Amino acid sequence: MRVNVDLRLKDVPGQLIKALEPISLNEGNIVGVVHNHDLVTGGRISVNVTFEYKDQRALDAISSAWKERGVEVVKMGEIFRTYAAEYLLVGDLTHAILRTITESIEGMEGVETMDLQYSLATGTADRSVLLVVSVRERERVRDIDSYLGAMSERHDFLLIRGMGV
Amino acid sequence: MRLALVGFGTVGQGLAEAVAMKKDLIYDRFGTELRIVAAFDSRTYAMDPRGLKPLELVARKQAGKGLGRTRPKSVAEMLRELDYDVLVEMTPTNIEDAEPGYTNIRTALECCRDVVTSNKGPLALRFRTLDELARKNGVELRFEATVGGATPIINLSRELLMAEKVESMKGILNGTCNFILSRMGEEGLPFEYVLKEAQEMGYAEADPSYDIDGIDSASKLAILANAIMGMDVTYHDVRRTGIRRITQEAVELAAKERKVIRLIGEVNGEGVEVAPRMVPLGHPLAISGTLNVLHMHTDLAGAITVVGRGAGRKETASAIMSDLVGLLKRNACLLNGRVK
Repeated sequence: MRVNVDLRLKDVPGQLIKALEPISLNEGNIVGVVHNHDLVTGGRISVNVTFEYKDQRALDAISSAWKERGVEVVKMGEIFRTYAAEYLLVGDLTHAILRTITESIEGMEGVETMDLQYSLATGTADRSVLLVVSVRERERVRDIDSYLGAMSERHDFLLIRGMGV
Repeated sequence: MRLALVGFGTVGQGLAEAVAMKKDLIYDRFGTELRIVAAFDSRTYAMDPRGLKPLELVARKQAGKGLGRTRPKSVAEMLRELDYDVLVEMTPTNIEDAEPGYTNIRTALECCRDVVTSNKGPLALRFRTLDELARKNGVELRFEATVGGATPIINLSRELLMAEKVESMKGILNGTCNFILSRMGEEGLPFEYVLKEAQEMGYAEADPSYDIDGIDSASKLAILANAIMGMDVTYHDVRRTGIRRITQEAVELAAKERKVIRLIGEVNGEGVEVAPRMVPLGHPLAISGTLNVLHMHTDLAGAITVVGRGAGRKETASAIMSDLVGLLKRNACLLNGRVK
């Protein structure tokens, strides 16, 4: 799991290592560090760290270590990595079918968000619809692929997938 | 090395020109020549064990005179009686029953002759049969020209990357479709308009279905799946969607997301498929024009991308020449006793 924290450190040398060391000691993986030298309040500077941790016990151990070392935790929040899968559908996509498709996808497990854009072709009944679906786990993309594949076959839509996540 | 050329259209003539052009290079490198001892077109033939003059054959063909005498029997029957080392099979692809290419290739392999071909049909439909026959008879069947034109895909994978396990492949294998989709995206033109333009420029046939319905790409993908990934598939096993129904609106919607639409062939653990896909700008497969590209993932080398010109007289001749050079190298090794 991935987490993002705002820390406040004493503005003296050696403090950053003091803040990052507990993450490594507890088998965490530091993904990013933003050191805000300009943001000094009450003699402390602000540092934003994103890291992956093994389990809740490891995260608790890191938090305790910070407390012992005088590192102040201002804010901590989970970050979920999401994968965006894109699809273009071309065909006689009525409002009713579009509603069915969007409701079905939104109801699928692990689907975070869905963005939909469409246009109506001039002179033909074919409409093009772009769907961008964010999912929590890569494996969920396969479920959406299968669902849209089956819908396209049933309703004779052209399905254009992205390159995969 | 004595060659029997079967098929003397654009590809056959291009090869004859390349043989003439590279005569000195071949002699300097291998101390031998590529001697054309027989050439066949759909109706006529020419034969000379001392060697035919390649450029004279081309001139005769272009003057509309045929290659020489009218064939008294089928090419396959004549091949059985002919003395040659390598059959170069360049008849047009027939994806219905692979003929006459299949019978010509089979005949040569049965007679223990090496074969080089540019004809996709026999390999897209009967790959395993021909491959096993070649192995059984201890001869080579080489087919670089069947996929990607001048892009060295097959020999790169089967020779230089021999120690690699190719885990997946994605590619653009048809220049006509890529030209149409590039023009639609870059100029905002509708499909029908660009198709006509492609026909006028000679990139698409009068009946374009072979290209735009993905038949050509699917044939090539089946060959790659067999030759590079060791699968046992035919053209009929490839899930296939063409580009006919792609609208200008679909292209524009993709562009809003910084994507282009391309006809992509893909082989992975889940199967073999040709279909239009949205490709991010900057991706190795987001190429424009008539180029071909193959992007593969291997266990040791990781990602490898090869790009090149996928069709044309010289380009196809280049691929056939690379196969002929491969045979010359093998022969040189055999002579030196370096192959066991």
